[in-house]
Amino acid sequence: MRVGVLCSTKWGTLDMVAQLTTGERQLAIVVLSLVALLGLAMAAAGRADPIGVHGFIVLAICCGLIFVVLGAYYAPEPSPERLEHYYDDPSKVGIVLTMAWAVVGMFLGVWVASLLAWPDLTFDAAWASFGRLRPAHTSAVIFGFGGNALIATSFHVLQRTSRARLPDQFSPWFVLIGYNLFCVVAATGYFMGVTQSKEYAEPEWYADIWLVVVWVTYFAIYIRTLARRKEPHIYVANWYYMAFILVVAILHIVNNLAVPVSFGHAKSYSVFSGVQDAMVQWWYGHNAVAFFLTAGFLGMMYYYLPKRAGRPIYSYRLSIISFWGITFMYMWAGSHHLLYTALPQWVQTLGMTFSLILLVPSWASAGNALATLNGAWHKVRDDATLRFMMAAAVFYGLTTFEGSFLAIRPVNSLSHYTDWTVGHVHAGALGWVALITFGSIYCIVPWLWKRERMYSARLVEVHFWLAIIGTVIYVFAMWNSGIIQGLMWRTYNENGTLTYSFVESMVAMHPYYIARAFGGLLFLMGAIVGSYNIWMTIRGEAEVAPESADLPEPRLASAPGE
Amino acid sequence: MEVGERDPVTGQLTTGHEWNGIKELYTPVPRVVILFLVLTTLFAVGYWILMPAWPLGRTYTKGLLGVDQKTTVERQVEEATAERALWTKRIDEMDFPAIRADPALMETVREAGATLFKDNCAACHGARGTGGKGFPDLTAAAWLWGGNPETIVETLRVGINSAHDETRVSQMLAFGRDGILSLAQINDVRAYVQSLGGSTEPTVASPEAVSRGKEVFVANCVACHGEDAKGKQDVGAPDLTDANWIYGGDSQSIHTSIYSGHQGQMPSWEQRLSTTQRKILALYVLSLSEKRS
Amino acid sequence: MAEFHRKIERNAMGFVLAIVVVASIGGFVEIAPLFTIDDTVENVQDMRLYTPLEQAGRDIYTREGCYACHSQMIRTLRDEVERYGPYSLAVESKYDHPMLWGSKRTGPDLARIGGKYSDAWQVAHLINPRDVVPESVMPKYGWLQRNALRIDDLGEHLAALRDVGVPYTDDMIANATQDALGQAAPDGDFAAGVVKRYGQATQVRAFDGDPGTITEMDALVAYLQIMGHLTDAAYKQAAAAEPAK
Ligand code: HEC
Ligand code: HEC
Ligand code: HEC
Ligand code: HEM
Ligand code: HEM
Ligand SMILES: [Ca+2]
Ligand SMILES: [Ca+2]
Ligand SMILES: [Cu+2]
Repeated sequence: MRVGVLCSTKWGTLDMVAQLTTGERQLAIVVLSLVALLGLAMAAAGRADPIGVHGFIVLAICCGLIFVVLGAYYAPEPSPERLEHYYDDPSKVGIVLTMAWAVVGMFLGVWVASLLAWPDLTFDAAWASFGRLRPAHTSAVIFGFGGNALIATSFHVLQRTSRARLPDQFSPWFVLIGYNLFCVVAATGYFMGVTQSKEYAEPEWYADIWLVVVWVTYFAIYIRTLARRKEPHIYVANWYYMAFILVVAILHIVNNLAVPVSFGHAKSYSVFSGVQDAMVQWWYGHNAVAFFLTAGFLGMMYYYLPKRAGRPIYSYRLSIISFWGITFMYMWAGSHHLLYTALPQWVQTLGMTFSLILLVPSWASAGNALATLNGAWHKVRDDATLRFMMAAAVFYGLTTFEGSFLAIRPVNSLSHYTDWTVGHVHAGALGWVALITFGSIYCIVPWLWKRERMYSARLVEVHFWLAIIGTVIYVFAMWNSGIIQGLMWRTYNENGTLTYSFVESMVAMHPYYIARAFGGLLFLMGAIVGSYNIWMTIRGEAEVAPESADLPEPRLASAPGE
Repeated sequence: MEVGERDPVTGQLTTGHEWNGIKELYTPVPRVVILFLVLTTLFAVGYWILMPAWPLGRTYTKGLLGVDQKTTVERQVEEATAERALWTKRIDEMDFPAIRADPALMETVREAGATLFKDNCAACHGARGTGGKGFPDLTAAAWLWGGNPETIVETLRVGINSAHDETRVSQMLAFGRDGILSLAQINDVRAYVQSLGGSTEPTVASPEAVSRGKEVFVANCVACHGEDAKGKQDVGAPDLTDANWIYGGDSQSIHTSIYSGHQGQMPSWEQRLSTTQRKILALYVLSLSEKRS
Repeated sequence: MAEFHRKIERNAMGFVLAIVVVASIGGFVEIAPLFTIDDTVENVQDMRLYTPLEQAGRDIYTREGCYACHSQMIRTLRDEVERYGPYSLAVESKYDHPMLWGSKRTGPDLARIGGKYSDAWQVAHLINPRDVVPESVMPKYGWLQRNALRIDDLGEHLAALRDVGVPYTDDMIANATQDALGQAAPDGDFAAGVVKRYGQATQVRAFDGDPGTITEMDALVAYLQIMGHLTDAAYKQAAAAEPAK
């Protein structure tokens, strides 16, 4: 019995299509054809422009997918029994995509890091120059790796904590595949120089519009599933996932308002300019951190950590304070990216002060997670998966503390523009985002593929240490270089003139850039080890109806709301 | 609310709900959380009262302290300038020989000049002032416009072939591209220039070619480079007999110089650097060439 | 509090609404007044527009991701003012859609780079930064010199910019292509037109050293050379603030 199990032949894709009803298969073909037509139109309108290349990419991907759907088009209808089970196929594919993007994105990270140590690794090729690879790195890790992890886990968590199946079997695929199409268009765009330059919102107008469509569907899935839930209360994890979906939608739409040069041009011009544009951009940029890289992953943590630890959440009341504190206060803090700039000082004041208050709900979240482990510390010691999540909570606390610290005007006068920011970013990105993701994935993979455990617990352990050591090297290197750089820029001789030139500060960074590339390499190796472990787990034999902590399925259809 | 069971580890009650096996405790919010929430909020409120903070339609609250980052930095720069005046005043007032005779003051000049030079000049002239292809070596004492400090400080003020109204103007004509000389003539005069001893490559041309080249030189070049080819500082034309080359002393480079001409540009620094800073730089540049000799 | 929360967390739509309301406040209070408070952007008379060539250069600057290493924002800090020049004013990026203030200085600030170096240096540096600055970690941009600049659609670019508020005239939009050609070829037929439309201060030069071609290098260098010179407001303000000698 392998229906819907991503294991045997050809990744089981055909099995997955066979799981769709005939109506859903037809819908899939219609939608794919429409998007393919859209691609064709882009290809035609943008012959002399990168948007044309994107048209062909969209066209090719859609045609490939139509082919896949047709491959199982005449398979028999799935049995009605499927409605008794959660629908996990999109989560499975999402997990695989998460790991694929992790390896790609972190490889790009190591490359980008190496470019700053050895600048000629570009081979005089435009696509490989630092300015084009850097957004490819940030988008691949944040959107490719982080986004897929969020989508995959949110579907999983949503069903279990609502005790309801996803509303249909088509829209989750639309979200997952549509989202990855967005990521592919974004990444290939950077290589061609297609970018709006807005940090973490670089994709151009057509990708932005597409993402809105995907996102609205995502939200619809969430709200429809919640509407059918059998638990009277919405669980905390879903508060965070919902905040993530809703606020990212608001941010994305406002920040990306732009006028394209024409329908045949990838290029567009932001409707905002100068100081207003800066404020909108960092209102977006900071809250992309808050609601993409923080709220979403807190949702993840609130499910997998207590589940794995087998402990109740430490305090429901603390959860309330942290959730609303974060939702309210983060949105004021964006202007801490613009301290001392031409942004009016009153806005800077609000950004700085709210950043300080923000520390309290942030630490409340981290503390709530760590205190949840009370009574399970022996498991943390023995189980690297739980340790991933514990370490993530610690790094989350550390990063938010550092963030609030960096938001203090005099501190920011030193840290801004330097590697210190980059160190802070990766304490959060590697220590928090990536660790909580890996921990969650090591929980979810055996559950979804119905294995007793991961293929190798030793390799999870190896991954853990590679990740921790890599993160520590990276972050320490950047703290050092950032602070040295910041100090060199403002060091004065006794006679009152500047001591160091800019280039001298740049030369001083060299050893740290090498160390960072090395730390990143360790982290990347960890991700590769993890991917191998996951791959081997998936390929392994399914146990016969294992006792999984994840499966109250018999109750799914029958149990009434309590 | 629904009363849950008691958790044996913490002794807290649960909320009575369960989501796929996950329960929550009803632990009260720890005191420190409230405390820090209050403290940080109080700090924020205090800060809002003192600093510019809240928007009010068409204006905003200015704060009791009346602080504004723009006036703050202007004041800081002003104060720093005033503090530096301790020694910059002497630089401004003293003439060059007097400054150069004052070792303590020169020490300060070198210290201040080094960073100024690296942030502004090193891009072209190199971190040590030794130049590069297209950019003259300032340590060689092979001056285009003259090596006394007044000249140098004037060069810094107006630049060479720059956008400044009073810029120094110099041009090496494009004798080949503009058809003033034939290729044969250019070959000859190149051979002649190489025969003057400065070239990094010995000439392989015949003595006849060199003497034909000399004729070409006399007819076309002496106006700028002088009869002895030692250059003329009033038009910024370089000495062609020494080993210092801006654009290269091999036969190919010399050929290119004569064929395509040059109009090297040195920016004017009048807008960007103060009079004092330019004076410091002139002294610094001179100290570079002295260090070498 | 917890009791009240118990209620709203049973209502999905209510919860959604609560999130949207709570999350919208901060952004609204911080962003909306930037459009209503008058002194947010200084009022200056001498503000120029980017010429089509400069705007094309700006688009290349964006395309190549120069903003990933270079800021264009001199902060109100003593060391920055002393190293880079007068602190940046809001008005200086008034026509920047989007702004390119940047958030990382792997390389130096470029807000006042215009006129600091010669065109020839900029070209040499972009082709291989290590030719002129041996320690540099900046990438090479050799293809800029090899690629012809696309100029046929510059009018459309200006028209889109006008849609978002940059005051380009019909004349400027209609002549965008010629004006780009003119600015890069001082002895060509179109040089006079660009000066007429964009003002006497317009820099008309063969920025890449070759008047016969119009390359991406021409555009990028034209942009670099205008940076910090769209208005003199910052310099004037700095001069006014300088203590009387
Ligand atoms: C854009 C490149 C560039 C920069 C930056 C630059 N220079 Fe120059 N400089 C030149 C060139 C080119 C020449 C020679 C002009 C010529 O070939 O006629 C020159 C000439 C000079 C001369 C005249 C040399 C002589 O022989 O008479 C002095 C002195 C000088 N530079 C000093 C400086 C100082 C000091 C700075 C910094 C404040 C500086 N330069 C910045 C390019 C530059
Ligand atoms: C109008 C004045 C003028 C005339 C005439 C002139 N030169 Fe020059 N020459 C210059 C100037 C000025 C420079 C320096 C250009 C620069 O630095 O940008 C120069 C530079 C050179 C150089 C390059 C030197 C170096 O350091 O790399 C050579 C070689 C040269 N001239 C040879 C000649 C010869 C041969 C002739 C006659 C056929 C000639 N010049 C005629 C003004 C002139
Ligand atoms: C990897 C980071 C990086 C990227 C990307 C980058 N630069 Fe640079 N840039 C530097 C560094 C480091 C320096 C200082 C060393 C030097 O002068 O080369 C610099 C210096 C400069 C300077 C001289 C600034 C001064 O005041 O001396 C200019 C102009 C410049 N870059 C323009 C650009 C442009 C235009 C682009 C994009 C096409 C670009 N840079 C992309 C790192 C970068
Ligand atoms: C293998 C591990 C990684 C390496 C070696 C790496 C390396 C880098 C480098 C070199 C930069 C550019 C810094 C600069 O401009 O000076 C960067 C930027 C960035 N990276 Fe990574 N990275 C890694 C993993 C990640 C992950 C997993 C994430 C997110 C989940 C992430 C998010 C970011 C972000 C957001 C930035 C932009 C920072 C800023 O603008 O300040 N990185 N990274
Ligand atoms: C209380 C929470 C936090 C606060 C107050 C905060 C504050 C800050 C500050 C002040 C900066 C520097 C801005 C600058 O000078 O350019 C910054 C940058 C950044 N932070 Fe945080 N931070 C917090 C948490 C986090 C977390 C958890 C992450 C997770 C990954 C994160 C990711 C980033 C990123 C990506 C940037 C770089 C933005 C850029 O310049 O591109 N932050 N943050
Ligand atoms: Ca975008
Ligand atoms: Ca040209
Ligand atoms: Cu932030």
